Amino acid sequence: MPSRSELRQLYDAGAQLTPAIHQPQDWPYEVPHTLYEAYMWPLHDVGGHAAAPALFEEKEEEEWEDKTYVTCEVLGWKGVWNAEERRRRADNDVGVSIYYGFPYYGRWIWSAARMLVDKNHISLNELHEKIAEVKARYGNR
Amino acid sequence: METAETKTVETPGTKAPWEGTGVTLPARFKIGDRVRVRELPAIFYSRTQMYVRGVSGTVVRLNYPDLTPEDEAWNRYNAPQEQYYIVRFCQKDLWEEYPFQNDTLQSEYPESALEPATD
Repeated sequence: MPSRSELRQLYDAGAQLTPAIHQPQDWPYEVPHTLYEAYMWPLHDVGGHAAAPALFEEKEEEEWEDKTYVTCEVLGWKGVWNAEERRRRADNDVGVSIYYGFPYYGRWIWSAARMLVDKNHISLNELHEKIAEVKARYGNR
Repeated sequence: METAETKTVETPGTKAPWEGTGVTLPARFKIGDRVRVRELPAIFYSRTQMYVRGVSGTVVRLNYPDLTPEDEAWNRYNAPQEQYYIVRFCQKDLWEEYPFQNDTLQSEYPESALEPATD
């Protein structure tokens, strides 16, 4: 269990995830139409957007990234999902904060887990118990 | 208790389960036709970019018939399969400030994303 101060840090970090239109939003009743259209537009259609400054790095895939890729492809070969469903889930259904805030394969594995729960291949309780078990095995890091 | 490890996933048949099983619609456009990208809503999912909607281009290639992304993304394998087209646009038509007159951009669309161009 996180300490109270850790919990406060977590809440403060969560508050920082407010979608970056650079004005804090909190369930407003009035949404200007252009903003509404922007919210409703599929997240992955970023062509024409102003790009955030990014550092170009020559970098190999990390082991977790390769494992994520293979896991998601095997789920495809088994007929559990298809590539378009994966894109829909990993590029849109994650929501704007995770889309911009997670690494590319972080979104893949997030959406694979969500899909398995949505389709009742695993229960959410099983997933929670499994994550807790693995965390305990690694000393709760 | 059934766990992820014991859960058996149905073995796919001879055909990949994500392949369409519905009718294949005949192609409406041919190479050289002028087409306009329809201004449909994109609520929940689409792969038709915002910046091409309402813009006209030329069909330069007929690819294959397949499910639309909107159907495949929700596993609607019985939906009709549509012809996919490569459409060529002038960059100037897409981005007013684009500096080069002759540059083009090609992208791929299912038939239901397109209509005959009137301009």
